[in-house]
Amino acid sequence: MRAHSPSAAAHERWRLVPATPSPVRLSLPARARNIAVVRRALEAIAEELALPRRLVEDMRLAVTEACTNVVRHAYSGTEADDQSALRVELRPQPRGMLVVVEDRGRGLSPSPDGGGPGLGLPLIAALTEDLEISHGPDNRGSRVAMSFAPVIEAA
Amino acid sequence: MSEAAASPNGSPGTTRVSIASGPLVGPVLRRVVGMLAARADLPLDRLDDAVLVADLIASRAPAHVAAAAVDVDLETGDRTLFLRVGPLRPGGGDALIVDAAVPGVGNVIEQLADDLSVQPEGDAEYLHVRLAYPA
Repeated sequence: MRAHSPSAAAHERWRLVPATPSPVRLSLPARARNIAVVRRALEAIAEELALPRRLVEDMRLAVTEACTNVVRHAYSGTEADDQSALRVELRPQPRGMLVVVEDRGRGLSPSPDGGGPGLGLPLIAALTEDLEISHGPDNRGSRVAMSFAPVIEAA
Repeated sequence: MSEAAASPNGSPGTTRVSIASGPLVGPVLRRVVGMLAARADLPLDRLDDAVLVADLIASRAPAHVAAAAVDVDLETGDRTLFLRVGPLRPGGGDALIVDAAVPGVGNVIEQLADDLSVQPEGDAEYLHVRLAYPA
């Protein structure tokens, strides 16, 4: 997890949003092409909130990894085409963003092709301020909740 | 109004975007619609049309939705993009279309959509829009 040490001067590095906007939710088939849709939505929110570029890059990478895990491992066959196979919630926070990626499939178990989860989760953990992994809705699948906040560098 | 605008309706392959009414509706919806219009292989002028329709829906729909969020189902076909906006409150579909009129230009959604319809479902109704480019 990323170290975080806020300071008064650091508050000037990002725009404080007067009222944190409400969340954006996406429900999509768990197909690789839809990861780009999630990234677009994420970028739109980040731009609107004027989040720091470095933070946006970290979010984009971590969210891509989380969605890729769902696409690769959660479903077999046409289950992936269900409209709610991949659910993503993008919830702006006063200092960053909470992103939740859910599936209703096999969750984070190894894929049938033998290529199990590799660097994805450690990478996500390294890029997030806080990471929570649990079962998805109705105890099915997986739920990956990622909190992102700007890194504060020592003066 | 045409039956041809009836898709999508939660069918496989549909993407659903639900955005709480507020400042994110426009930025998120225009990006997602633009992306899917490109995926549908719409040419640039029709892609611009789709984004314009998205902007109008984003700015007008919050006044007519049944809940606190703007929900849009999107589906791509062969050089075709379907949008289903709702649930809208009763009368909200037609009101949204009327609201989309721009002084001196007319009703932009009506002019740009290949098909446009309002369909009731349960206690609510949905606006269906189809944007296409002829083969």
